[in-house]
Parts: sequence; structure tokens; C-alpha cells
Amino acid sequence: MSRSFPKSFSSRPRLPLSLWADRGAGTLFLISTLVLVALIFSLIGFLAWRGAGAFIALPGNTDRVLSLREVFLGLDWSPTQDRFGVLPFIFGSFTVVGLSIALAGPLGVLTAVFVTQIAPRWMRAVMRQAMDLLVGIPSVVYGIFGLATLLPFLGDRWLDGQPSAGFLASALILTVMIVPTIVSLSMDAFEALPRSLDEGARALGSTTWQSIASVLIPAAWPRLVTAVVLGMGRAIGEAMAIQMVIGNNPQWISLMRDLTDRTPLLRFLFTPASTLTTELVQELPNTAAHSAWNNVLFALGLLLYLLTMGSILLTRRLSRRRA
Amino acid sequence: MKKLDLRPRLSARIMDGAMKVALWAVALGFIAALLVVMGAILKQGWPVLNWGFLSKMPETLDAGGGVRPQLFNSIYLVALSLAGSLPIGIGAGIYMAEYAKEGRLTGFFRLCVETLSATPSIVLALFGLMVFVQALDWSFSIRSGACALAMLNIPILTRVTELSLRGVPQEMKEASYGLGATKLQTILRVLLPAAAPGLLTGTVLAAGRAFGESAVLVFTAGTNTSMTYPDFSLKAPGETLAVHLWYVVSDGTLPDAREIAAGTAAVMVLVLLVMNIVVRLLDRRLKRHAR
Repeated sequence: MSRSFPKSFSSRPRLPLSLWADRGAGTLFLISTLVLVALIFSLIGFLAWRGAGAFIALPGNTDRVLSLREVFLGLDWSPTQDRFGVLPFIFGSFTVVGLSIALAGPLGVLTAVFVTQIAPRWMRAVMRQAMDLLVGIPSVVYGIFGLATLLPFLGDRWLDGQPSAGFLASALILTVMIVPTIVSLSMDAFEALPRSLDEGARALGSTTWQSIASVLIPAAWPRLVTAVVLGMGRAIGEAMAIQMVIGNNPQWISLMRDLTDRTPLLRFLFTPASTLTTELVQELPNTAAHSAWNNVLFALGLLLYLLTMGSILLTRRLSRRRA
Repeated sequence: MKKLDLRPRLSARIMDGAMKVALWAVALGFIAALLVVMGAILKQGWPVLNWGFLSKMPETLDAGGGVRPQLFNSIYLVALSLAGSLPIGIGAGIYMAEYAKEGRLTGFFRLCVETLSATPSIVLALFGLMVFVQALDWSFSIRSGACALAMLNIPILTRVTELSLRGVPQEMKEASYGLGATKLQTILRVLLPAAAPGLLTGTVLAAGRAFGESAVLVFTAGTNTSMTYPDFSLKAPGETLAVHLWYVVSDGTLPDAREIAAGTAAVMVLVLLVMNIVVRLLDRRLKRHAR
């Protein structure tokens, strides 16, 4: 005689509803996480697909296939005349990011030193609030500030009222935008140091600054570098604020050569230029999908993505070495 | 007998004083920068700001337009994107904090969250343009914009959820298990309420970021608004305040583009100031309540 189905079923203790819910919920939370993972992979996949379209003949392409060399080693960007050199934008991006990091790195770290080591309690609260507000200001608002206030100011100050769009204005705006990131990460770095380091230095007769310069900053160094690299990652992706103040001129390299009536420094700081991000904002709306022009712009997007990925992997490596 | 001098050398003391002054100067410089930016925006926007500016429709060629639909679209898009990203973001955060075991896979998930939150918004814009606008053929619309914005919010919310859950004292969790609660009951009745202040602050921060976002929306929600008001249709074009600010300046067909941009910027700064104050009050209130 075989056992009937209901009997064998009831011989096992039935799970109460709450336990079923418990199991189901775990799966749901896992699914949320997997959605996030899927988003990242489709992002990489789509970008790689469209970016590759510039260099490989893909179905749907409406233009000729370009060579990696003419795109990434070319200095001439004239898409209407079939010339697609993107080197000026890469140089532009690195220049703007380099300038703003040169300003924001030291300023950010010093501000963090101030807040964690020197500032009285009330000043610490004020600084936190100020940094929160600076982070919260949207990039277009920084852009209009640059356009309506900073550019006229710079022009009057150094160029006798001539237009002053270019690297300096972009770097200044970008500095204010990334300093809060660097400050808050550097503050974490200093707060993670054991109290005894500072106390030891003081006990040996150091002044506050001696302790900061010869003990605390060296001890926090790896995390400070991480903070600056993350700030760099943010800077390289910023688009709208820079687009509004940089002047948007893909031919900036030759223009900088031609402006011979100015000193080299002024030429460098005040020639209208372009970066990877500003070029995307500027030209993407005007291009037909799957044309060579359009595909190259997507390749620039892919490059931008790889650069930020690189900065994240770099910070990971730095923090692993510390551990 | 000569008195023993235990103070640091004079040069060291001078250096110390000088550096302290310099550090104060740097810090005050940032506060000054903040005040200059805020002051300039509010000062230039103030003459434009009045009820008419907020309640009128925008003009396409003439001076004197308002930002009524843009204000509506901004709020509508933020709400929609949060509705989409909160379940996923909080779910993933709960998984990372309570379910994931330390190991390769969890490390990989964490790398994904980090990567997505560091993705430049212009890259998300490209993705939104490819997928929502072109591949799904949704054109420049509220729904394209909301989906792209949600992608921006998800990693922020995941991170905030994970951090606030990890901040809940271990004893509370143990007490709940000790009373016979299941894991889900513990999460819903003990951990999430205890983590609520952090979650709320994080949500408002994400909302603020979405409110100010422009790059993503230029390429997904577009630079036009619907002709009717209020238009709740998901298929309507959805220019927001941030996009409007950028578009009037760079397009340049409006005679009063600068004034409109200044007014829009002032509206945005005021909204964000109010959000900042709300976060602070909420935070204080909830923390007192939790105690």
C-alpha cells in the first residue's frame, strides 16, 4: 500500500507563514542587488558596442570605418571634413583636471587638517555646513555663476575686458566643486589615526604644526592620496559647469599658437578650449545616430568611463596596500 | 642658576603660529567662496524672482517667460525616479548589510555599487540616450528621464542603506533574535526603524542630487516642455529647471536668457537650501525620538 500524498505532505512540519516570507524576502533583496549588477554590465556593454562602431564595421553604420590611430593620435577635429582627431579633447580634459587638482588637492587636505586638528568646535560645525552646501550646489548653477560673475571678473582683471573663457575659469569652478569631496575623505583619514600619534609627538615637545607636518600627514598619506584620486575621478566626469565657461573650441591648440599678442601664460590660461565631456554635451545632439561622428562621440564616452573606472581601481589598490 | 627652557625652538613656534594663521585663512577662504557663489546667484536672480516668474509659461522667442512647467517637471521627475530607485536601492542595501557573506562575490557587488556611483553623469546620459530614447523608442520624455535619473539614485541609496543598517547596535539585533523573531521580522521591525534617520537623510540627499542634475536629463527628458499644464503623461517631454537654465544660456534665442537663467538658478538654490534645512531638522528630531 502506497502512502497517500496528503499524508506524506502533512508528516513534515508545515512552515509558518513568517518563515516563508523570510525566505522570499532574502531572494527579493538578492534580486535588487542583481538588478544593480545588470545595470553596470549593460552600461559597459552598450557603450563598448556603440564606441566600437567607430572602428569596426557594424550593421547599421552609415559611414566609413575609422582607424584607432587617426582618432586617438589625430590633432584635427573637423567632423564635417571627415577628420576625427580627439587628442585636443584628451589634452583639454587632462589640463583642466590637472590644474584643478593642483589647487584642490593641497587646499582640500589643508582644510581637513584645519577642521580635525585646529578648529574650535563651533568652527568645525560651520565648516561641515559650508562643505555640505558646496556639494549640494548643482553644476549648472556653478556654470551660470562662472558665466555671469567669474568670467567678467577674470576678463577685467587680466585681459582688459576681453573674453576670458578657457582653462583657468574651468579649473577654478572645478576646484570649488571637488574640494568638498577631498576635504571629507581627508577628514576621515585624519580621524582614523590613533590619538596616541599626536600625543606622542606633543610629549616630545612638538608644536601643533610640527606634529601635523612630520607625524600626522605622513601617517595619513595613503588615504590622502586616495582622497585626491577620487576627487580627480569626479573632476574628469564633470560636464555642464565646464561647458558653460570653457569656450568650446575644438581647434584650441592652433588658436593658442596663433594668439601671439599675449604672453604664453595668458594664452594658456585664457584660450577657449574643449574637453571630452564638453565636446559630448556640445555635439551629441547635432549628430545622426550611427554616423562616424556619432560613433566617435560614443567612443569618447567609453574612454571617459574607463578613466573613472581606472581611478576607482587605483584607489582600491592603494587601500589594499595599506591593509 | 639659569632656568631650563622647555619650550620648542623660537623658529618652530613662529612657524606654528604662521601655519595656524594660514590654515584659518584657507578655511575662511572656502566660506567666502560659498558666500560669493550664493550671494552672486541670489543677487542676480532676485529682481527676476516673483510670483509671475514661477507661474507663467516659458516663452520661445520673446522676453518675460516663466518656469512653471519646468518647476513641475523637476518635482515630478524627482518623485518618479525615487519611486523607481527606492525599492531597488534599499533592497540591495539590505542585502549587502544583512545577507551577503564576506567573500569574493560580495566584494564584486561592492565594486559594482562603487563603479555605478562614480559613473560620470554624462556617461549615464549616453546610456539613457541609447537605451531609453533610441532602442526602446521612448523619445525625449518624462519616462526616459525618470529611468535614467533612477540609475543615478540607486547606488547612492544602496550605499546609504548599507551604512545606516551597519550603524545599528548589534545588541538590538541580538535582542530581536532572542525573542524568536525571524530575520525578515528583525529587519522590518527593528533594524529599519533604527536606521530611519540615516535612510531619510540619504533619500533627501539623493532627491537633491536628482533635482540639480542636468547632463543626464538633457539627453533623456529633453529640452522641451509639454504645451498643457499640469501634464502627468509619462510620454510628455520633460525639461526641468536645471536643464532650462543650461538650455536658455547655450541656445541664446531668448532676449532675456541671462535673466531667466539667473532667476532659475536662484529658485534652485532656494529649493536646495530649504531641503538642507529640512534634512537637519528631520535628523535632529528622529535622533531625539530614537533615544
